[in-house]
Amino acid sequence: MEILFKNFSFRYKNLKEPTLKNINLKINAGEKVLIAGQSGSGKSTLMHCINGLIPFAMEGEHSGELLIDGTKPYDETIFEISKKVGTILQDQDSQFIGLSVGEDVAFLLENNRVKTTEMHKQVAEALDIVDMNDFIGQSPYELSGGQKQRVSIAGVISSKSDIMLFDEPLANLDPASGKNVIQLIDNLHKETGKTILIVEHRIEDVLEESVDRIVVIEKGEIIFNGPPQEILASNILNTAGLREPLYVEAIKRSKHGLSALDKIQNIENCADEKIKDSILKWYIPTEMIKEKITKRKMLSVKNVDFSYDKTRKVLSDISFDLHEGEILSVLGNNGAGKSTLSGLISGILKPAKGEIFLNDQKINGWSIKKVGENVGYVMQNPNSMIVKHMLRDEVKLGLEARLVDNRGVLSFNWLKSLFNRKNINEDDNIEKLYLDIIRTCGLYGYRNWPIASLSYGQKRRAAIASILTLDPKIIIMDEPTAGQDYRTYSSFMKFIQELAASGLGIILITHDIHLALEYSSRSIVLCGGEKIADDTPARIFAQTDIIDRANLKETSLGKLASIIGIENKSDFIQFFINEAKECSIIE
Amino acid sequence: MSKFGTLYVDSDSFFHRMEPSLKLLVFLLWSVTVFMFLDLRVDIFLLVLGIILLSLSRIPFIIIRNLFIVVIIFNLINALFIFLITPDYGTILTGKTTVLCNLWHYSLTLETLFYLLTLSLKYISLMPMAMILIFTTHPSRFASSLNRVGIPYKIAYTFNIIFRYIPDIQNEFKTIAQAQAARGMSFGKDEKSFTKRVRNLFNLTIPLINSALERIDKVTNAMDLRGFGKYKTRTWYNTTKIKASDYVVLLVLIIMFGLFLSIKITDTSMFWYPL
Repeated sequence: MEILFKNFSFRYKNLKEPTLKNINLKINAGEKVLIAGQSGSGKSTLMHCINGLIPFAMEGEHSGELLIDGTKPYDETIFEISKKVGTILQDQDSQFIGLSVGEDVAFLLENNRVKTTEMHKQVAEALDIVDMNDFIGQSPYELSGGQKQRVSIAGVISSKSDIMLFDEPLANLDPASGKNVIQLIDNLHKETGKTILIVEHRIEDVLEESVDRIVVIEKGEIIFNGPPQEILASNILNTAGLREPLYVEAIKRSKHGLSALDKIQNIENCADEKIKDSILKWYIPTEMIKEKITKRKMLSVKNVDFSYDKTRKVLSDISFDLHEGEILSVLGNNGAGKSTLSGLISGILKPAKGEIFLNDQKINGWSIKKVGENVGYVMQNPNSMIVKHMLRDEVKLGLEARLVDNRGVLSFNWLKSLFNRKNINEDDNIEKLYLDIIRTCGLYGYRNWPIASLSYGQKRRAAIASILTLDPKIIIMDEPTAGQDYRTYSSFMKFIQELAASGLGIILITHDIHLALEYSSRSIVLCGGEKIADDTPARIFAQTDIIDRANLKETSLGKLASIIGIENKSDFIQFFINEAKECSIIE
Repeated sequence: MSKFGTLYVDSDSFFHRMEPSLKLLVFLLWSVTVFMFLDLRVDIFLLVLGIILLSLSRIPFIIIRNLFIVVIIFNLINALFIFLITPDYGTILTGKTTVLCNLWHYSLTLETLFYLLTLSLKYISLMPMAMILIFTTHPSRFASSLNRVGIPYKIAYTFNIIFRYIPDIQNEFKTIAQAQAARGMSFGKDEKSFTKRVRNLFNLTIPLINSALERIDKVTNAMDLRGFGKYKTRTWYNTTKIKASDYVVLLVLIIMFGLFLSIKITDTSMFWYPL
């Protein structure tokens, strides 16, 4: 089945500007295409046009023509479209509708009135393809993110639709599970010959398996439509605010001019002599010495055990320190104990054994509130944190409560150092503090806005602003970059680095390898409740045993190093990070 | 909570195998019977019968015990309030006054005590059947069964959806509450002032509603994309077969309910008081 857009434009009912402008795109039957673009570029809108959510669930105006298998979806119902197009949504949790795996896969068949016995047969077949038959009776609560993703795929396979649409299939998955899903999609493509569309901004991960074509959307328009080798050799991804694969970035940084003929989309082709020479000329071994930490210890976790039910330990014997101004990343797969650890540090949970010190004071027995005055916790989804309608009220909420509660206790050290202010004392009025905080967070222009009209990235900043009002010493952030494209993400992380530079300690809970590599100075890796590594990210990502145990994935930089014959992988990774940092400072 | 995050206890008993809509009918007629009478004999009969049935249901004893404790405590409080508000209700019902003792302004009469006992047992006798219905019925089978007896599937499926997402929303509530507590806005023991606790609890509503709306949006899209509502009927993955034993149960049910109904019609006294 083919998909054809002809001069197609679309405008949402409540928006002034069209979200898609003059799209001309043909996707042939059996093709595998990656559709990339920043958040807000229109890539999801394009997808909704194909799967029928537009116009059936989301209203708007369109012009031009869209044909799916020769018929206009506008003349059909969403159900007729769903026969041709199967969609796997990005939120694995919400799209798991059934109470068990089998039931969820059967959902579409139930709605298609397939007889119960026949249905059980088809469900088993679909689950076989994704290798999940052993889980048929399990509930969604017993599955990992990657397993839920497989179940969703089985649910679409059972529909026998010819087009499969994947909406950010890698979101919320740990690197190893993400890799599995990409392989699974590739197998499906090879075995069934279905037309496959993948909407993603994590280009490096999708390109681990080959795609026929990449389509890049920017501000509602298609700015590139062609084979991967072409776009990787060009500079289009960067201009569209998307991240190139790290190994491609490395080759480009070495000043090697790439052409489509290099077929760089396959990392194995980097063994080419010219590329090799260029990289070797560029790379200067850094001879990493373990950075001597002279800064003051802020947080010290000593031999901590934790268990929810007193029988199974969720964390055992965890020890680590966090220093002033340090950005520490905590890595590990789902269930490794990352969120339990952040619960312990923020005082929500109490350790069963061991001690936690904050500035040399033992905090085991402190109340959540008291710990919260020192340790701020920023959730993954800002909407789960924001309690007021207006930005102003949200940010002031904690400030007012705190100023009224303990007048004179606030020191706002980080603010002082950011603004070189000498005396912010209790007489400084709330208004002034509030304005400083939103200025720091880059929200000054929005101070009178309702929060609902802010973008997702801005909401995230608002959530941090409301935490900063508590004058914390440490901030824990859960997946701070989830759902954000490269551009928003980099500017957000720069802001976090500024906060750290002012003396805050930052803990990032994440499975984003790029984030850990480029923005944290140290990583600890948890696996099955134990700490299995505590080192610089560059060293950690060069160790295959740790990568495997923690469901991480080797970086393409490491791969590049081995292809070229650089033995000290971690040093090469570190060199790349340092170079990238220098360039971003110059920029 | 079972592994499905619902109250269903996966096991195999007579009640687990029974047609879910029939179970619902048993429970409904049981309740009607209980509320028809204000008669200690009926209450005791139904309670004993209920306990016997409950023992056949293979629900873990600990669940049964805990729930009974809760309901009994609730009933004691309920009885106390009824006594405080209408201390002479027993007298109004029976026309007799037998004072047992005087407590401050109140005098406790034998009639009122007997009335409160009857009333409490009445509520408690609903318990066993309610527990059987809740703990032995798989939500999906319940939905398909309701659909079979004529309830539109969109309504019947609501049960599935509720059971599927309640645990998610519970978790969401917990994380939101914890994040706010860490911000110094706890509604638990951490906060000493009661008014602040209430205010802090109230503050959770916006994020909770936000996340619920987001979820509803996503779930609706996911259901649309997979053809929910396509036809007027649908089939079910999890379903039960109507068995001979179900007809037997239905017959027994009709006979017993008929008996109770005829007793009610012939016996016009509102309240049974033997003393």
